[in-house]
Amino acid sequence: MELITVSRKGGMAFDVSVGRHHLTCDMAPEDGGAGAGLSPVEMFAGSLGACIAMMVQCYCETCGCDGDVGVSLALELLPKPKRIGAVVVDVELPRGVSEDRRDAIRRVVRECVIHETLRHPPDVDVEILTDSELRPDPEPVGAGTLELRRN
Amino acid sequence: MEKVQLGGKDIEIDEDGFIQDPDAWDESVARDLAKTEGVDDMTDEHWKVVNYLREYYLEYNMAPMIRKVCKTTGFKLKEIYDLFPSGPAKGACKVAGLPKPTGCV
Repeated sequence: MELITVSRKGGMAFDVSVGRHHLTCDMAPEDGGAGAGLSPVEMFAGSLGACIAMMVQCYCETCGCDGDVGVSLALELLPKPKRIGAVVVDVELPRGVSEDRRDAIRRVVRECVIHETLRHPPDVDVEILTDSELRPDPEPVGAGTLELRRN
Repeated sequence: MEKVQLGGKDIEIDEDGFIQDPDAWDESVARDLAKTEGVDDMTDEHWKVVNYLREYYLEYNMAPMIRKVCKTTGFKLKEIYDLFPSGPAKGACKVAGLPKPTGCV
């Protein structure tokens, strides 16, 4: 997997970049942003939805149904600490997928990487890098000149 | 808190437009709140969601989970958002006269 970088675009908008792909992430205007992109929470839910959609699409195609899978999601947030308390997901199957596939598709949904990650939370290892670590002081300007004067 | 005219009454709302006194709610208030959410015409489907939210709130003093709203009303998630574009929490709960859900962003 390529390095994912997040860099400021302006205001509360950030560019999320992976290789040649870019996404803009921003806060909604009522939360202090400009609404120039998905909020981080929406991006998180979108990631889960996309992962589910891809897995179910693959499953349907192996069953001979190549119609389009659709996924709708809604989030319920909880306070203190503010977090996602529930994710509600509707998976819409293409025509031709029979009722008796329902349990198998439920298993496919549970096995998607993002869903499994939510069920088995990963360690998030954060290092805080300060200015002195990111941009070590260059040789002081004028130091060489001072030495010359002493000589 | 700001006071606005809703259903012909002066009603206090918070910064997000949620009414502060659930007892001030009636159907004409709901219709005016719906307009603030871009819903100009309250259909039977809108009322089905709003009435369920209101009944649940009056019984349990909290808004129901989204999945419960879907199962009880028979609407799929996408259909709830078609009815209330800002969603069940920000949109439908507001029209139903419920306080702003705690987790609502």
